[in-house]
Amino acid sequence: MIPLAHYLILSGILFTIGLAGVLVRKNIIVVFMCLEMMLCASSVALVAFSRAQGTAGVPVYDAQVLSLFITGIAAAEVAIGLALIVAMFRARRTVESTALNSLKD
Amino acid sequence: MFESSLCQILFCVLAALAMLCAIGVVAFRNPVNSAMCMAVCFAMVAAIFFGMGAQFLGIVQLIVYAGAILVLFLFVVMMLDIHDENHSSKTGWHAVVGVLVAGCTAGLILKAAISLPGATDTPCPVKTLCTSAGELLIGDARQAAPQPVEAAQYGGALPELSAAAAARMENPSISAEDAAKATSISDVKLIGKCLYTHYNIPFVILGFALLSGTVGAVALARKIRKD
Repeated sequence: MIPLAHYLILSGILFTIGLAGVLVRKNIIVVFMCLEMMLCASSVALVAFSRAQGTAGVPVYDAQVLSLFITGIAAAEVAIGLALIVAMFRARRTVESTALNSLKD
Repeated sequence: MFESSLCQILFCVLAALAMLCAIGVVAFRNPVNSAMCMAVCFAMVAAIFFGMGAQFLGIVQLIVYAGAILVLFLFVVMMLDIHDENHSSKTGWHAVVGVLVAGCTAGLILKAAISLPGATDTPCPVKTLCTSAGELLIGDARQAAPQPVEAAQYGGALPELSAAAAARMENPSISAEDAAKATSISDVKLIGKCLYTHYNIPFVILGFALLSGTVGAVALARKIRKD
């Protein structure tokens, strides 16, 4: 079988690619996609841990329930976030994060 | 051994595709391409969930992420009529800092994962597959050295799923013989049992969060009338 470490490595790499995207990209929609990817990476780690911690061949289902909650919260977050992006586009006519600098000027 | 190395190779292929698509999300200029890459990435993660025996979560992943969330993203991208990011000269240090921070985090996580006990015990899947295929073809009498299995090797191979134990957990009054007859784990029943007993109140709160999120999204995205 595949060791736990491989799943954790996959999850870590997906998470850091998402983190790099959040830090590098300026288009807020793409930043948001990268945030979703980070959440997804954390669910991979949770499910892998649920298998690894299981006793007598039954996974720990608490971790899978938590992963389900992450998915639900991600859906709510996307709805709110995209509504905010639409509102920002109406106000500024752009979705670049560098355009939000009225506090600086 | 043969089957296990096949599993491992499949996992490597799926993981490589997922990472490639994740890089695509960050690298593509056009948000529509990024969204498509994100869908493929989530589908690959769902396939990895299936491989881990978490079928219900895999399906949920496909429906919610690759279905609903992707459609929302595409809808907003199309609605807002966004042009590609224009390349300005000021992004240089920005990108360098981002990649540096992400690289440091990646190094930390990878070091932590590799240094788990038993993490590096697994043999190379391609080599194992080649040896076992060679033995099948040639009929080599040489026995493969038995791999010692340590229960304490936390980071090592995941424990095998046992349908009998799951059947007993699902229905504690079942007899041992009936439990031994079970051939598959009904993932959904066990998750549902956990969800509606231990996590009943958080689940209801999650429902309220989703409802208030949706109402908030409608309120935010509504066109405000000037009069």
